[in-house]
Amino acid sequence: MKMEGKELRIKTFLSHNTRRIMTYLIAAFLLILLGYYLPRVLPGDYVTAMYSQSQAIITEEEEAWLKAEYADKESFCEYIIALVTLDWGYSLVFSEPVSDLIFSALPWTLFLLGSAHLLAMIIGFIAGVEAAWRRGPLEKLSVGLMTFLEGAPEIATGILLLFIFALVLGWFPAAGGETAYAGYGMFRWGLDVLYHTILPFITLFFAYLPGNFLLARGSMIVILKSPFLKTAYAKGLPSLRVRYGHGARNALLPVVTRFGLRFSFMLTGALVVETIFSYPGLGTLLFKSIALRDLPLIQAIVLFSSLLVLTVNIALEICYRFLDPRVRNET
Amino acid sequence: MKHNIFNVLIINRWFVFGIILAVLLVIVFTAGAWFSRYDPYNASFSPLSPPSARHWLGVNDGGMDIFSELMYAVRNTVLFGVLSAAAALALGIFAGLTAAWKGGLTGNILMRLSEVIMSVPPVMIMIIVASFMRPSAVTLAFTLSLVSWPTTAKAIRSQALALRERMHVRAARDMGGTSSYIIVRHLLPELFPLYLIGFIAKLRMAVFMEASLAFLGLFDPARKSIGSMIRYALQYYYLDVWLNWLIPPVVCFSLIIMSITFLAISLEEVFDPRLKEI
Repeated sequence: MKMEGKELRIKTFLSHNTRRIMTYLIAAFLLILLGYYLPRVLPGDYVTAMYSQSQAIITEEEEAWLKAEYADKESFCEYIIALVTLDWGYSLVFSEPVSDLIFSALPWTLFLLGSAHLLAMIIGFIAGVEAAWRRGPLEKLSVGLMTFLEGAPEIATGILLLFIFALVLGWFPAAGGETAYAGYGMFRWGLDVLYHTILPFITLFFAYLPGNFLLARGSMIVILKSPFLKTAYAKGLPSLRVRYGHGARNALLPVVTRFGLRFSFMLTGALVVETIFSYPGLGTLLFKSIALRDLPLIQAIVLFSSLLVLTVNIALEICYRFLDPRVRNET
Repeated sequence: MKHNIFNVLIINRWFVFGIILAVLLVIVFTAGAWFSRYDPYNASFSPLSPPSARHWLGVNDGGMDIFSELMYAVRNTVLFGVLSAAAALALGIFAGLTAAWKGGLTGNILMRLSEVIMSVPPVMIMIIVASFMRPSAVTLAFTLSLVSWPTTAKAIRSQALALRERMHVRAARDMGGTSSYIIVRHLLPELFPLYLIGFIAKLRMAVFMEASLAFLGLFDPARKSIGSMIRYALQYYYLDVWLNWLIPPVVCFSLIIMSITFLAISLEEVFDPRLKEI
């Protein structure tokens, strides 16, 4: 009877994992559908209304072309084909194809967000596990500090860092992702990029760190009470192996499961931070396109980055299968 | 459970910090709104003048009194948050209870729907709606609640399912209590801690979202908001005005978010840690 219950739990767990992947795929489909229908269901002459407020001065010819572009003649199939072949329209404000603009901004965002999330996850996780392991005054202090940091919005820490380190002390550049027209070699260029990335990176790192730390600490505290850790000790395993091989390994699971949800909520702050530091990524591009009312570009960035978030989530869900042997053994 | 909530909370350090900060902020901003002598839209003062006895935080580039503007902005930002959080909570309670009580196909559809909504970054939906339809702030607050209810609904559903099987609820059912009687007399009041957690979590998200969207320039440019104040002030960061123009909204915003975050963290700590929301 007991065994049956356990097997049932594994089954639902497995379907939970597969179901989550399905959910992301459905969400992606709905987003594409929204991208297709939204410009078509808006009332009135949308092109004229929008571009009358835009910075872009468009000619009669371009207006006719735009109207044709948005006219309800393209089928959903053609829309999908255009999406896959990177034919995402033309930005009249920047006079460049939308896909070129996005792909030149994408590496910057991937670099900044990826490194901030990865490092915040690794360091936050290890610090959280260690804090749960050695309860004491240092742990209390770090929990207090992290809770305080969790309350500090990125918009404020970003502006604070910009002021202290870029304007008052002048240690770091205030804007941009690289020194313009410097003509550096490969190595110097890499250093220059790192130098420009430090301030936005620190802002995001400290925004992401507390969540990972508190979550890892919380789940590790619960795990430390479980009997299997006592068994591991009784077997005479070294402390490090008990802590990481047996304990932290299980504490990692909730950190990974919650990552997807946190990631999509944290995106709001990342947009703001990129803008504060004029970092040449997707966030700043989106900010510019909103300011200039360049609708095809706004729509493409939103759709592309949402799909990117969903892809990250699907990849994470697949990683989860390898992290949790209960899921892996069943597949 | 209901009568001792406060006794449990008051011994939590973060709750005390959060509630004191929140009360102080409410007092300061209410008094500030009382003392702000100028209409925030009155643009008749000399632009970029420094702080003085008449203009406590000086005048901005458009010739408006920054102190009055800030008081107005805080009110707008917080009201947006409260409105959106209340609507999201109502939706979450309704969907969560329906899914738990009805179960079956209705419950399944509601839960799948909430999972699909949860997987899309809310800020992206808000940007699309704000830039294509240019709705009012109130409409945007409700739009945000349409994408932020699922976490609350999930928490409420799982607790309601557990509660439904508890002895006293079963007894009430066996004695012939109708669905509406049990939902109103047992489920709704006994899930109360979840409403606090849900509301505070949504409030934090909505205030943050409002400031970020305003910072990105997605609201009506004339609307006062903490985010739009930071946006305009940041354009003049190289001048000395940042001390009286940029720092005040940044500090106000940080204090508001901190107070809400401390409340959120303490509520999660005190009530079931498994019910954690963002």
